[in-house]
Amino acid sequence: MNVSPDPSLQALGACAPSRPAHWFARGMVGAVSTPGLVLVATFVGFGGLLHDLGFPIFAGLLSTLLVWALPAQVILVGGLAAGASLPALAVAVCLSGVRLLPMVVSLMPLMRGPRPRLLSELVCAHFVAVTMWVEGLRLLPGVAPEGRPAYATGLGFGLTVLSMTGTAIGFYLTGALPGPLAVALLLLTPISFAILLVRNARRPVDWLAIVLGAAISPLVANSPGGLDLFWAGVGGGTLAFFLARILPGRQA
Amino acid sequence: MNFFTTELGAMLVVIFVGFLPNEVWRVLGVLFGRRIDEDSVWMQWVQAVATALLAAVVARLLLVPSGALVALPLWLRVGAVASGIGGFLAVRRSVLAGVLTAEAVLVVGAWWLGASP
Repeated sequence: MNVSPDPSLQALGACAPSRPAHWFARGMVGAVSTPGLVLVATFVGFGGLLHDLGFPIFAGLLSTLLVWALPAQVILVGGLAAGASLPALAVAVCLSGVRLLPMVVSLMPLMRGPRPRLLSELVCAHFVAVTMWVEGLRLLPGVAPEGRPAYATGLGFGLTVLSMTGTAIGFYLTGALPGPLAVALLLLTPISFAILLVRNARRPVDWLAIVLGAAISPLVANSPGGLDLFWAGVGGGTLAFFLARILPGRQA
Repeated sequence: MNFFTTELGAMLVVIFVGFLPNEVWRVLGVLFGRRIDEDSVWMQWVQAVATALLAAVVARLLLVPSGALVALPLWLRVGAVASGIGGFLAVRRSVLAGVLTAEAVLVVGAWWLGASP
């Protein structure tokens, strides 16, 4: 994934007026990109999943707006359909969101601008998810520092609006699609997650966590209390963590 | 009628079981971002758990699916995702190429089997 600054944006900082609305609009335009469209497609898949599981559409749209992290949304919706307990689901959702922390920490210096305000930082941080992180790292270095909070908010808001549209399209499309295309829609979620995992895996511990998490998941399916994701995640992740530490030749 | 199949019930669940437990990490990132060492042993463990959890979600969607995907045989579901990863690695690590490869394999396979959920 190319995350170097876009040269066409380098010149913007010098000549453009520094009104927040202007930067917000530019951010929204920036949301329409290849990664943005792939994101929309995966939310079309999520909409199909919602329909498939009988989850109400407006609550599904609310989850795209507020949760704004597809793995957490799928855990929540899928877990409810499987009859998981709410506390177990909250723990699983919370654990799945851990990866957002390093993304926020690493993107914040680019979104903060010259005069940091807590509220604006929290709004910017809310929009951080994988696509926002990748696109932010690519686009924000080319934006004038004073325009960055507004630009980041516009970029995140644009991606959210596109994804909510995708969610609604997927929800209403699944019923109308012929069989093979409907299943194609449902496969979008697992395939995009699988590619995401492979793309982000760099160290041995990442690969171990992928293999162990996937291998333990079917073994603990239907475990009491709806804790199967919890066991696969915490068990597989902890095992991977310790295995990677005792393996010879690991990175220091 | 289940509580979660009503709009209001599902919205409350989205807010309290989805939004709040997930948003915690973004708020922590803002508040303590400058003090958190990304390479600390604690963060390494936390990231391993997050990765395993996501892999478990994929495995559950493929191996123990619900709804229309059940109509397809296991080898086709797993084969489609495996070919998607292959497409991603083969075509300049392009997410789009991977997704399109997996979808093509799945649609052709489903059409060939004549499976209609």
